[in-house]
Order: sequence, then structure tokens, then C-alpha cells
Amino acid sequence: MLLTFNEAEKILKKYKIPVITTGMVSNEKETIEFSKKLGFPLVLKLDSPYILHKTDIGGVILDIKNKEELKSGLVKISKIAKKYKAEILIQKQIPGIYIIMGAKKDPVFGPLVMFGLGGIFVEILKDVSFRLAPITKTEARKMIKEIRGYKILKGYRSQKPVDINNLSKILVNLSKMIAKEKNIQEIDLNPLIVNEKKVLVVDAKIIINSKFKKQNAKQ
Amino acid sequence: MRNNNSKRIRLQKFFNPKTVAIIGATDRPGSVGRGLCKNLFEGRNKRKIYFVNPFKNKVLGIKTYRKITDIKEKIDLAIIAVPARVVPKIAEDCAKKGVLGVIIISSGFAETGEQGKKLQNKVKKTLKDIFLVGPNCLGVINPYTKLNASFAPQTPQKGEIAFISQSGALIDSVIDKSLDENYGFSWIISYGNEAGITLTDFLEFVCQDKNTKTIALYLEGVKDGKKFYRTLRKITQKKPVVILKGGKTKLSQRAVSSHTGSLAGEREIYSAVFKQAGAIEAESIEEMLDIAKALAWLPKCKNGIGIVTNGGGAGILTTDYCQDLGIKLTKLKQETIRKINSSSVIPSHWSKNNPVDIIGDALSDRYKIAIEALISQKDIYGLIVIQTLQIMTQPLENAKIIIETQRKWKNKPIIAVFMGGKNVKKAIKLLEKNKIPNYLDPLRAVKAMRTLVSE
Repeated sequence: MLLTFNEAEKILKKYKIPVITTGMVSNEKETIEFSKKLGFPLVLKLDSPYILHKTDIGGVILDIKNKEELKSGLVKISKIAKKYKAEILIQKQIPGIYIIMGAKKDPVFGPLVMFGLGGIFVEILKDVSFRLAPITKTEARKMIKEIRGYKILKGYRSQKPVDINNLSKILVNLSKMIAKEKNIQEIDLNPLIVNEKKVLVVDAKIIINSKFKKQNAKQ
Repeated sequence: MRNNNSKRIRLQKFFNPKTVAIIGATDRPGSVGRGLCKNLFEGRNKRKIYFVNPFKNKVLGIKTYRKITDIKEKIDLAIIAVPARVVPKIAEDCAKKGVLGVIIISSGFAETGEQGKKLQNKVKKTLKDIFLVGPNCLGVINPYTKLNASFAPQTPQKGEIAFISQSGALIDSVIDKSLDENYGFSWIISYGNEAGITLTDFLEFVCQDKNTKTIALYLEGVKDGKKFYRTLRKITQKKPVVILKGGKTKLSQRAVSSHTGSLAGEREIYSAVFKQAGAIEAESIEEMLDIAKALAWLPKCKNGIGIVTNGGGAGILTTDYCQDLGIKLTKLKQETIRKINSSSVIPSHWSKNNPVDIIGDALSDRYKIAIEALISQKDIYGLIVIQTLQIMTQPLENAKIIIETQRKWKNKPIIAVFMGGKNVKKAIKLLEKNKIPNYLDPLRAVKAMRTLVSE
């Protein structure tokens, strides 16, 4: 089972992992109000504990530049949302480099964390590094430096270097989260967007076991 | 703590036994039992060997006992090589006899499935506190004490490498190859099913062994991942560990749904664990032993080395490999260049930079000048000395110069690349007898140097 965006956001914040401001919208009026608050460009996407790969079903609309595009995008995604009984989320689209951070429980070694660049870097080149969790900040820095795409983070051509210090802190926090949370099986923070100023989780997939909700209901 | 200490002392005694009984001793050609008898017999000056076999009166001309309990003297180590189904009965005898420990060579236990697992548990229960190596293993070897409690084809030479292997058959070939080489072993351990003494116990054991300088480990999988990681991390603080992992292509066992889940295959996780624990991962058997040899013989050094070569091509290859693997070539100081120039034995058109090419027709005097000039430059922390074989090349003399230099500059590792075959064999032997590792290919040398150089 997956956590909904709201649930994921709650637990990520508990571990000081910053999440991008996100609104849940159900009609045009709400959507336009949110767009005024966030400013363009915007992203609309589905949220459901049952959909693992929302891009595959057209559940993410990127690069919405104005009110007209927002309206037509909303019509389009509403149909899909209805079909899958999903909610609709709205976020500001921010510039930066796409990062993937992940975590899982390995049957032999226990909790571990992963770091890599998002997009084709992870899907085709599998350019990622792993460590057993929890990790120290020094180890997190090593993980970041280890990937082949590290130069991209350090800034290339006219790009400014990203905030690697902050990135390592978040990786440490994620490693603490997987080590502590008994009922979380796997985590994908994909993407996390990083630029010279900040690091923000844009999408999170958190796979839980059946005990998770019971435990959290108690708290 | 005291309990741990007394266990350690008993374990030391078990691994250096004064009395050994082989249960399943036989002289039937082609049998494991015969191999064991023959190997253990080599150490007969160091300990008493007893043969146990109820169906024979004599094995290899020596009286046999019907049962281990028939032997009057105390037995430190019993080696069991009988069919699996008989092992529980033998284990009972061993428990009755009060042996310090047993090595069960026999297969047919947990590695075969549920039935075998039950049999293994039964044996373990019978043995209680008695040390147990295996079952399903090749045995253990220590060339220093001439203890060859295995059915390996031969006892290897003494050396500084402890080789621990999940595969027994691999050990046999590694030993045979090493007999043609100039390195040897402090311990060879096949740990089998780990029903008693586990891989981590063995790692801790060889870590404390004074003859062991480096630990080489072949493994396919570990049972207790967290314990393995903790132990490994502790051990690498004291001795270098080189690991070759077999079975890397297996994908993650369970159904996965996240990117992380699908990317975290066995290979990736094990590699990460080795790295995080401070161990070195090798890609092949050859590389594992290449690296183990260098780590056993040479000191570690800072990043920044010099290369001396009498062949342009070999120097270029070595430079390329250094660049690929992150080894820095130190820039030559004016004084170093002056030293080489003023020698007047090296032609004035020598390279003037690192690598130092002393030209193909170099005799030993050129090697001497170049090696001395480089190694006395403060920020050159180690050397790779390449020798391609020309008609006038003097391999033995060159080897002696390197040995002399290493003796004088103990903190700067020197690796030799005497390339060739027949005509360099003697020189290589001389080098390696003096703990200067030689590699026939520059890539192997650079990979070895990489493990000596700190970031």
C-alpha cells in the first residue's frame, strides 16, 4: 500500500525532509485560486494510494503556463482522476536538477538508502549509490560524490552548483526515517528538485505494510 | 569478557591441535578420506595423528581405531569425512570423547534442503559447546604449523594472506596457482554451512592471527547481514580485507514496486556494504590475489607517485591507467631533473617529466639514477618501476636496485612491472622474495597501487 501525498508529507516533515507547497483541488474555482497563490508555471497531478506509476496513465501535466492551459489541463486530468478515484494535486513547477533519493528494507542487510540523479540517469544509466542506514553526514557526502553524474551537481557550464550540504542533510534524515519506521517498506523521493537555493521533495512514493495505519492512528 | 577470552584460548588450541583424529580415514585411491590422511600426515612431527575406521585395520601402514572413544589420549580436533547419514552417530562419539572441536567435511546437510537441514541441526545439538567447522567444507590449512586439515591437493607456501572462501573447490585451484607464484598463505579456511563457527568468527580469528597481514575473502552470500557488516567494519580498521563476491547477477528476490526496490539488486547492496565497511572489492580471483599481495607486503602512501620506465608504450599505458583510477603523477622538481641530467648516464633526450623514460637501451645504472632521484623527491610517495625486456636489459641487477631502494625508503611502496616471461622469471622471484610485488601487466600494477594510495 502507498501513502497518500498528505500522509507522506506529514511523515517526511517529521524527519525534516522539506516538501514543496501542494494544494488539493476538486474544481476550477479552487484551482484558479491556488494558481494565484503559487504563480505559473504549474503542475497538476493525481494522488492515489493505488496508483504506482501515474505518468503512465497521463496522471501528470507539466509546464502549465497560464490560466487557459490550467483550465484545459484540469478538464483532462479530472476525467482520469474520476476513472481511478484519485485526488488532484497542484504544485508550482520549480527549476533545478532532478534527484532521486530512495530507501528500502533489505532482507539480508536491513534498512538502506539510495542516492542518484533523476530522469534518464536513474532509469537508463542506473547511476545511483547505496549505503546501509542510518548514515552520517560524511557518508552521505561520499554517496553523493560517488555517482558518475556528480559533476552536474557541482555546476557545469553556466549552471551554479547546487546546495550539496543541504542535500546530504536530507539524505541523512531519510536514512534515519527508514531505520526508525518499522512499518515502512520502501521510499522513493522522486523527484527531489535541487537548485542553488533549496531542496524540495516534489513527489514521494512511500510503501507501507498493513500495520502502519494502526500504529499511526494510535499516536 | 572472561568467557570470551576463554573461548578464544580454546579456539586457538582447536586451531593448533596437538592431537588429531580422522574419522573416515582410508587409503582408497580417489577418496576424500585418503586426501585428508595424506595432508594431515605432513604435520606428523607437530602433532599426533590418529586414524579411525571400523572396517580397516591399517591405513597408509598405520594402525586404525574402530571408534574415536577407543583412543586413550585426549583429542583436540576430530575431522569427520563419512557419509552424512552416519555423521549424527559419529558426533555422539565425539561428544562422548570430549573432543575440543570437529571439522565436518561431509556434504548432504543444509545445502541440500529441509531434510539435510534437520540432520545438520541434530548434529549441532549433539555437539553442544564443541567447536564445529562446516559441514560441507574443504577444511582448514595453516602452512606455519603444517596443519592441513583438508583434502586440498597440496599445502601452500607460508605467507601473509589469510584466504577464507565459501567455495571449497576454488581454494584448490588458488593453492595450486600460488605454488607457481611467490606469495603464500597464513591460513586457508573453507567455512561451509557455518553450522557452528561462522564466517564472522573466522574473520575475527584471522584478524588476531599474527602471521596474517591481509585477508582475502570469496563469498556468495552472508546469512546475518548486519553482523557481517559490523564485524567487517571493525576488522578493516586493523587489517585490509579484499573481497570477491560471486553470484552478483541475481535480482532482488521479492516483487518490487519502487525505483529503489528495483535498483537495489544483490550486487549493488553487497558492493555498498563492502565500501561502507572499508573493505576492497575485487573483480576477479587474479585481482583479489594481486591486491592482497600488495597490501600484505607494502606500506600505504599518500596520492602522488613516480613512474620509471625503459619503454615509452608501457609508460603511456601506466599513465593512462593511473589517470583512470585517480592516481596522481607527481610533477618533477627542478632538483630531481638536475640530478638525472648531471648523472650523464641517461641520454639528454630523456622525457624530463613523470613518467621518467630512461630509453630502451637502459642498463642498470640508468635505473639506479632515475629511481634514486625520484624516490628522494619529497612529494613522490611511491613508485612503479617498469622494465620491458630488451636484449641489453639486466633484470637481476634492476631487481637488486629496487630491493635496495625499498630497504632504504621503507615508507614509500615500490611496485615492479617486469614485463615478459621466461627471461624475467628469476628477477621476479628475487623481487617477490623480498616483498616487492611484480605484475606482468601495468593495469594490474596500477590497480594494486590504487589500494595503497589514500584519497
